[in-house]
Amino acid sequence: MKILLCFSFLLVISIGCKEVYNAPITSPDTGYLVIEGFINSGDGPTSITLTRTTKLYNAGNIIYEHNAQVTVEGESNESFPLYEFGNGVYQSQPLSLNNAEKYRIHIKTTDGKEYVSDFTPVKATPDIDSISWKRENGGVQLYINTHDPQNNTRYYQWKYEQTWEYHSTYFNSLKYTYDPSTQEITGVDYKYPDAHVDTSIFKCWKTVNSTSITIASSEKLSQDIIYLPLVYIEPATETLSILYSMNLRQYALSQQAYQFYQKIKKNTEQLGSVFDPQPSDLQGNIHCTTNPTEIVVGFVEVTQEKIQRIFISNSQVPDWNYRAGCYITEVDNNKDSIAIHATGLLPGTPSKVTPFGTVAVFYASEERCIDCTKRGTNVKPDFWP
Amino acid sequence: MKHRFCIYVGLCLLLFSTAANAQKKTDTLVSGTYHNIPVQQFLLQLETKTGYRFYYDTLMFDSVKVDLSVKDQPLLNVLDLAFKNTAISYSADNQKNIFITRGLAVQSTLPQGFFVSGKGNSKDTLFVKGMNYLGDTSGKSQNATQENKLYVIGEENITNAPGGITVAGYVRDAKTGEPVIGASVYIENPRIGVFTDQYGYYSITLPKGRITLYIQSIGMYDTKRQLLVKGSGKMNIETQQEVMTLKRVIVSAEKASNVKGLQMGVQKIDIKSIKQVPVAFGEADILKVVLTLPGVKSVGEASTGLNVRGGSADQNLILFNDATIYNPSHFFGMFSAFNPEVVKDVELYKASVPAKYGGRLSSVLEINSREGNKKNISGTAGIGLLTSRINIEGPLIKDKSSFIIGGRTTYANWLLNLLPDEYKNSKAGFYDLNLNINHQIDKKSSIYLTAYMSSDRFNLNSDTVYKYGNQNLSLKYKHLFNNKIYMLVTAGYDHYDYDISSSRNPIYAYSLGFDINQGYFKTHFNYYLSSKHTLEFGLNSIYYKLHPGNYKPLGKESLVVNDIMQPEQALESALYLSDKYNITDALSVEGGLRYSMFNSFGPASINNYRPGVPKTEDNIISTTQYDKGKIMKTYHGPEIRLSARYALSSDLSLKAAYNTQRQYIHVLSNTSAMAPTDIWKLSDPNIKPQFGDQVSLGLYKNFKSNTIETSVEVYYKRIKDYLDYKSGAILILNHHIETDVISTKGKAYGVELLVKKLTGKLNGWLSYTYSRTLLKMDDPNAGEIINKGMYYPANYDKPHDFTIIGNYKFSHRFSVSLNTTYSTGRPITLPIGKFYYAGAERTLYADRNANRIPDYFRTDFSMNIEGNHKVHQKTHNSFSIGVYNMLGRKNPYSVYYVSENGIVNGYKLSIFGSPIPFINYNIRF
Repeated sequence: MKILLCFSFLLVISIGCKEVYNAPITSPDTGYLVIEGFINSGDGPTSITLTRTTKLYNAGNIIYEHNAQVTVEGESNESFPLYEFGNGVYQSQPLSLNNAEKYRIHIKTTDGKEYVSDFTPVKATPDIDSISWKRENGGVQLYINTHDPQNNTRYYQWKYEQTWEYHSTYFNSLKYTYDPSTQEITGVDYKYPDAHVDTSIFKCWKTVNSTSITIASSEKLSQDIIYLPLVYIEPATETLSILYSMNLRQYALSQQAYQFYQKIKKNTEQLGSVFDPQPSDLQGNIHCTTNPTEIVVGFVEVTQEKIQRIFISNSQVPDWNYRAGCYITEVDNNKDSIAIHATGLLPGTPSKVTPFGTVAVFYASEERCIDCTKRGTNVKPDFWP
Repeated sequence: MKHRFCIYVGLCLLLFSTAANAQKKTDTLVSGTYHNIPVQQFLLQLETKTGYRFYYDTLMFDSVKVDLSVKDQPLLNVLDLAFKNTAISYSADNQKNIFITRGLAVQSTLPQGFFVSGKGNSKDTLFVKGMNYLGDTSGKSQNATQENKLYVIGEENITNAPGGITVAGYVRDAKTGEPVIGASVYIENPRIGVFTDQYGYYSITLPKGRITLYIQSIGMYDTKRQLLVKGSGKMNIETQQEVMTLKRVIVSAEKASNVKGLQMGVQKIDIKSIKQVPVAFGEADILKVVLTLPGVKSVGEASTGLNVRGGSADQNLILFNDATIYNPSHFFGMFSAFNPEVVKDVELYKASVPAKYGGRLSSVLEINSREGNKKNISGTAGIGLLTSRINIEGPLIKDKSSFIIGGRTTYANWLLNLLPDEYKNSKAGFYDLNLNINHQIDKKSSIYLTAYMSSDRFNLNSDTVYKYGNQNLSLKYKHLFNNKIYMLVTAGYDHYDYDISSSRNPIYAYSLGFDINQGYFKTHFNYYLSSKHTLEFGLNSIYYKLHPGNYKPLGKESLVVNDIMQPEQALESALYLSDKYNITDALSVEGGLRYSMFNSFGPASINNYRPGVPKTEDNIISTTQYDKGKIMKTYHGPEIRLSARYALSSDLSLKAAYNTQRQYIHVLSNTSAMAPTDIWKLSDPNIKPQFGDQVSLGLYKNFKSNTIETSVEVYYKRIKDYLDYKSGAILILNHHIETDVISTKGKAYGVELLVKKLTGKLNGWLSYTYSRTLLKMDDPNAGEIINKGMYYPANYDKPHDFTIIGNYKFSHRFSVSLNTTYSTGRPITLPIGKFYYAGAERTLYADRNANRIPDYFRTDFSMNIEGNHKVHQKTHNSFSIGVYNMLGRKNPYSVYYVSENGIVNGYKLSIFGSPIPFINYNIRF
């Protein structure tokens, strides 16, 4: 609906209906506890992250909560400790939970406050059927396919990481040489004596985590089936220039957890239309027992994680037509020419070599076209084929 | 005008003296017996006997017989006797000429210079002698068209019923025959006045004798009629529209005034004023103009939801003729759903709501359509950038029945096609149709048919399709029993529905439908008991049937399960009686009592909750199954409508009012703007009706011979059991909605200042409002306490609001309009902090409406250019050209923070962020 209205009165008259604006408000020092994670009834460890809310215009980093005592507690007084791994992450050994019992998280912070979640039953997560994809409007749309033959999961959440391999546009075998005293560029020289190409900056991988909340429900359907568009890869982008992979993690949710995530999603991702529901405060299932009115953010329940990975290679998407938009410049290998023509560029490979084997003229291009590590890593992930 | 007036006076004086002189000089005596002979023969005989010459229209008198026996009588005595108790009169001059006339036209049709004796020496006896042109008029209506002619009402020798003499009739537009609504009909001394009702009907109690009756109405020339009241009678008055005249005409200084009326917080705007106000896209927009009135607000530019004196948008009863319009907007609130060509005027009741209306807490917005030209076929058409409209009207039977049919549509798709590719498949369209027919069955009965239909359809990028529409039909019968009592019987059917569908994901493809149906029956009696008392009483009944949600699969692949919410049905009835009592000239009061009753009916299954604990799903103790027609719950109670006026002087008055209201149907919405997907919910055993009361006080003063009206009104209002929603409430397809809503209390108070000038070259109004609207939810049993149980501002709480609507007429063909509006930014909930969750920064919210968006300021300008005013041409053209938001200010509609790619970004959304030029072409034929 947003679209419609903005619909743009702008069209006719080129208005922007949306502009960046930071309201002149002074937000209080909140510092409320934020608890994220789930009690893993599957094979892996249980991992809970504790952070604190900050001021709205706080430019600083995430404030992690350290040295808290975190335990998973069962209704029959079992207790499993979690240990801090740094960065507010607390982890347990894999737990062997009783499917018939209810569990909760219990947190005691260093300021003496105690927090507990409601006891929740153990939920089983069905396997992911598949991650499918199809070409749509030139790009690739990925879909989640999953179902619960028992028809009782109904509410799902997914998290995913996308990884793709990409290559620099141009090879690199040269490096700048610097005047040791002034640090000015004096010229270029081979990186390696044998003039080999530097493969370490040619082939890279980039990984992006999901930043939006992905949930779905089949509550209105006759069968517990999910067919949900997940990620759209824009056509001709680097993402699918070589090989792309997605690792999808699926969790079964309770209805309450689903509603909690939906509330966060509405409050933080789905605003900006004319008919926005008003933001609401966020009540999870965790309460501060020492100060019941204190705001606590988070919803912790017992569930399982199911994982599936998919690869899509460039050869599977004909006419992908990826262009990096890189240009190459020929530059004479001398200080002045480099200063004039190659400012901000990196040397690639020689274009003309003198009879003595030194570089006379070389190709130069933007950093991103030569050094792939500037926006990714050259360490091949374990799972990469 | 002045010149013409002198002639009249001269003529009258001449006429009088002639008659007086004539009698002295007639010495010829007449004797004879005339038994049942035709007038013609009788006069011939007199001519031969007396030597006088008679002038008369033979056709007019050929059926009149004379039965008379006289002896030695002067001629004029003989004539007196002969024409006694007839409509025939005569006058004589000193050249032995006698003019016999009959009917209405004597005064104007007498050739000038016929009477030249010129010895006028006496005042106001001119019509005394033998000038009973109208004879018996008590049985039929006469059409009084002229200001300076004496109309005689009633028969002298009839003894009048106790309670005085009543004169009643219609005030109509002389050109089109349409009724003039809300015209003030009054006499000065003693001061007695009434207003015409929506049919142009008036009934006034008058003293016997010579009086001047004044008639005033917005958009019409002020006029008056000279009456000689002898007994009760009927008189229809035709008045001239104040529109197309090129000559300057003296406008009477006695404007109908807000000082004299009894009601408070009533604003009326006619379509002419509405059309002068520039609005986005140039098409006259009724609701946008209503929004400029003091005490009326909205949450933002995209919303036609009115918030009247701190009420929510669903607390307004929007009546189009008699039909309730549930969604008065097109295009998600960009346009109002009323075709300006068909509308006559708009009346908004903010404080003293007449007892005949009920069912909503805040206001009644009465939109009256025109009746259609009763004399000729005519029409108008308009072309704008986004919409076009046409209407045709004319008589079905001349002077008896007329029709008006209007239509409007949009062609905004071209605009959507200019959008970036991602919106390329978007489509938007709407239309509305009107049909009104009225027919005068006989002198006492009329019948009115109103049909209305609107439809909207949008789809964004071929994904979700939104459709909504109103359909209304009403039939009204009006019957005059006598001059004092008339009756209105109305029956009708209102329908509103919406449908949302999406077929993008075949598994989830669905359609969601919602509709409201109501059938209603109203009887209303108006009884002009005496000059001191006017009674109104009647009965209203509405039968509701709602389908609150109908969720269905769309297409074969869809796995969506039918989810049909149980329909809701109820009967809302009310009996009312009100009396307008003029205690003295200065003091009048109106007291009304409306007793309303609401019955909620089965079939339905209703959840019973454990008492004393929050209504949640866990606290459902049982479910009661009610059979069809079984009364599940009855709510009832009195509604009090009181108002009083005390005139401190002829142009200064003080008024006070107290009003209570009950509302049994509620909108469930958690959006700040009124969304087309909002659902309405009837009260049921778990949802209580809303209750509101308001006390208001006002001071009214007119300046410059009543051409400038000013008023100050203060009010204090309480609202009980207004439905607010819990955080994260699910309102659509919720089978236990009572668990997601909470009853809140509200209070609203404010001061409204208005200066209004509707005549002259410079006209318009200026209003300032200071008002607050605060809500409170502190019932611990509701399960959730909002803002710690403290009062918090409602979404539309904008304390300061200032509006100028100005129009300057350079000539009759060219005028410019300028409006300016300023208001405090509306309250909004902004984050108090942020946190990191699910891979991204996210905002944290706490108290509702603790912040405000920046203030709002806008100026619009338009020029209205009319083509030439020659009367005899096929079409009349006019243009309006203007700029909305002339200063291009990016007025915020909302401020919001959203998590994008892991980071929280703040944005300001404006709906019109730059000047919007518009042009509109109108044609009349």
